[in-house]
Amino acid sequence: MKIIIRLCLLAVIAAIGFWLWTVFFPSAESVIKKQLSTVAALLSFNSKEEQLAKIANVEDLAGYFANDVEIIVDTPVQARHSISGREDLRQILLGARMTLTALSVEFMDATVTFAPGGTEATVSLTASAQVGGDRDPLVQEAKFTLRKIEGRWIIVRIETVRTLT
Amino acid sequence: MSSDNKQQVHWLRRITIGRNPRVTLVRAVILGVLTVIVFKTTLYPVRVRGGSMLPNYRDGRINFIYRLAYLSHEPRRGDVVGVGFAGPSIMLLKRVVGLPGETIGFSKGFVVVNGTPLPEPYLKWKSNWERDPVQLGPDEFFVVGDNRTMPIENHTFGIAQRKRILGKTLL
Repeated sequence: MKIIIRLCLLAVIAAIGFWLWTVFFPSAESVIKKQLSTVAALLSFNSKEEQLAKIANVEDLAGYFANDVEIIVDTPVQARHSISGREDLRQILLGARMTLTALSVEFMDATVTFAPGGTEATVSLTASAQVGGDRDPLVQEAKFTLRKIEGRWIIVRIETVRTLT
Repeated sequence: MSSDNKQQVHWLRRITIGRNPRVTLVRAVILGVLTVIVFKTTLYPVRVRGGSMLPNYRDGRINFIYRLAYLSHEPRRGDVVGVGFAGPSIMLLKRVVGLPGETIGFSKGFVVVNGTPLPEPYLKWKSNWERDPVQLGPDEFFVVGDNRTMPIENHTFGIAQRKRILGKTLL
């Protein structure tokens, strides 16, 4: 019985050790997933958000994107169009915050694939956006490309993916 | 009086933690682990959102996607399947009407398979959809909702790759 208890304790200590290791030395995949969660949180806002907070959050959000970021939207309801550059994106994000009452964004089922060299990653995910007042969320599959620049993963490209063709 | 109290405590204990707490704990752990395994690998619980599968699958209804349905055979015409986005967290609930290699179109509201209208007894409402035929590839299925009274441009339907079909509805 003592041996079993000791083995259980050892397993618990090993699990805690592993967990601490992942907290202090996270893998690139964990870093990217955590960063995308932060992006989703910054994209989300409610009606109580103050004017200054709106601007500050959009500035924070823009920091996660490359200067020459390219966003390509091609969905069954919207013809193919693109947004080029961080400045255009900033204006669109600010405009959305001024127009919509609330928005809740969530990224799900993120799968990270690294290019050879490990400085570029592609993330396939499902984005869900609930616009304030709407009953059903908008759901869209997308592919994010991130590049490691000066130790940070920066979003360089986003492209929507058609689930049904 | 004392005997009554003893009886009551015993009854409550039996209800909450059973006669043997250790056995109850082991049972609870096993049940919990089994539940997680089953709902993560075999049966995906889903809540129907929206009206694209009306009237057969009503908004808000709970269903399950059975992951093992297509281990022994491929999806069949008429099956209601879960089509995954990037993963299983959110999926489209659609009916398979076209199989690999077939040509699928819509004419006067009917699905037309290889030039022949498809009988669809599960449809309750008529429609007037028109769409040019498309040829399906070897790994492609054509899926569509049951509610074709909504305008065709508002309805999500089309070709699904086999790998996106996660399973068949259980109920």
